Amino acid sequence: MSQVQKNVVPIVEGLFTWPSDHPRLIGSRCPVCGSVQFPKSSVCNNPECDHSRSPEEVLLSEEGTLYSFDIHAYDLREPFEYHKAPYAIGAVELPEGITILARLTTTKGLRIGMKLRMKVDKLYEDAENIYMTYYFEPVEGGESR
Amino acid sequence: MTESAVVGAEITNWIEAGKPAPTAEVVAGVAIEALRQAGLRPADLDAIISTTSAMPFGHPTFLTTPAQHMGHRLAGKIGSNGLQVINVSGACASAAAAFSIADSMIKSGKARKVLVVGYDNSPRGFYFSFNSYLDTDMAIGYPLKVVGAVNPTYWAMWARRRAYEMGKPVEDIKEVMAIIKEELSKNGALNPHARYKKVFTAKEVLESPVVDDPLHLYMISAVSSGAGAVLLSDMDTAKRLTNKPVKVAASAVGGPLYNEPSPRLTYFTTAGGRRATKPFYEWRKPIEDAYRQAGITAEDVDFAEVHDTSLYHVINWIDQIMGWEREETDKLIRSRQFGRDGRFPVNLSGGTTSFGEAVYAQALMEVYEVFRQLRGEAGERQVRKNAKIGLATAYGAYGSYGAIALERAW
Repeated sequence: MSQVQKNVVPIVEGLFTWPSDHPRLIGSRCPVCGSVQFPKSSVCNNPECDHSRSPEEVLLSEEGTLYSFDIHAYDLREPFEYHKAPYAIGAVELPEGITILARLTTTKGLRIGMKLRMKVDKLYEDAENIYMTYYFEPVEGGESR
Repeated sequence: MTESAVVGAEITNWIEAGKPAPTAEVVAGVAIEALRQAGLRPADLDAIISTTSAMPFGHPTFLTTPAQHMGHRLAGKIGSNGLQVINVSGACASAAAAFSIADSMIKSGKARKVLVVGYDNSPRGFYFSFNSYLDTDMAIGYPLKVVGAVNPTYWAMWARRRAYEMGKPVEDIKEVMAIIKEELSKNGALNPHARYKKVFTAKEVLESPVVDDPLHLYMISAVSSGAGAVLLSDMDTAKRLTNKPVKVAASAVGGPLYNEPSPRLTYFTTAGGRRATKPFYEWRKPIEDAYRQAGITAEDVDFAEVHDTSLYHVINWIDQIMGWEREETDKLIRSRQFGRDGRFPVNLSGGTTSFGEAVYAQALMEVYEVFRQLRGEAGERQVRKNAKIGLATAYGAYGSYGAIALERAW
């Protein structure tokens, strides 16, 4: 039986730079009012913006602060059964002023206010592909406030 | 401006969801009963405002599903003389939005008698947005696909954050939620319309499995099947139809706020950066709007029916309705002063935790309860006799909210 080379693909296109040795989250920033969005958007989301120019793609900070988290204890049904319980979901505050959802790399030792760093890793694989996603991982000894 | 009033209200018993049901038949039943209460016929109606998400199971979401046109189907079913029909959507707050449209039509003079109907028959499970992740233009759905976030994920994060901001261990808010369940399940046990009649002890709640830590299974509402109908008219008509008219003092609808700093259900990210409002101002704003419409303050609200898809919601609603610091809310709950003889009664119906959520009909269940309570028709659940103003609040995905204030008008 021959080993089939699987494609390593992002779980959703456009959330982070891929392929890349140093993947970063992709957002957008409005050149008029500065509003930052994730995922990136072609339309500014600030109701007070005059929309005279369109948002531009930006790479987001790699470090953030844990705003809160959930430890999810049961398996999801198809087609999301690849999220294997238990796993932790965090709301991560980025220096840009937005809070984004992310899978965390661990369910242990989590504390609100702790410093986290983004990394891209495998989420799951099927017969053809290895699906990659972004995670946030606690920074050793990191306490941001 | 014309005043508006509720003159009839009926709900089905809330039952286990998931079995296909004859939608128009069920909705016609409660609609006819609401009309009967006021002594009106379908021909007397000027408009039907309808809301449902109950489409046949396995049905693809084509533009013309029967669910999206339930109001028209009801008009055909009970007979109509060319009335106005509007079908409304606003996630779990849909029925509050439908009610507000009816109220606005009457207050503006566009209609004098309007029937609001809601029905739902939600599939089991924790509200997976099954196909919405296929909509690649939206972040909605990605939280599930990319992050594995279900609805209780958001509620768990909010609950944990609240404990953190109060400087308390997360066990503290678990305890508060367990006390709420114990008290609300006692209310539900007295309500013939409630699906769950079992009284839970706080201990049982804390011993139920953890599903989304810090939320345990019994801190999250089930999904149900149920229908409601509420009949509104202008106040002059109401006074002719009933000697116990209930005034619609306010009906406010809320939407997503750019500056809301708490992660919003079904969203991937917050916005607004450093101009962020106080957390949950998105919940508070429609309540402030309702107070302004009614010319009242929190002190004037005698009791409330709040949308509690998790028991964290009850805590947050009390925070937002009363405008209290959080300690005051916890004190009310821990001293069990939110029952029918308490300082601020909440969810005398038993709430969503006792009914399960028939998503698009849920706010009508709340309006029904406030209406019955104000008229002194709530049986064993009856609030103290001098209650004059009751508030119903609705909350849903995508940033959908509603706040309805009803007032005794006799």
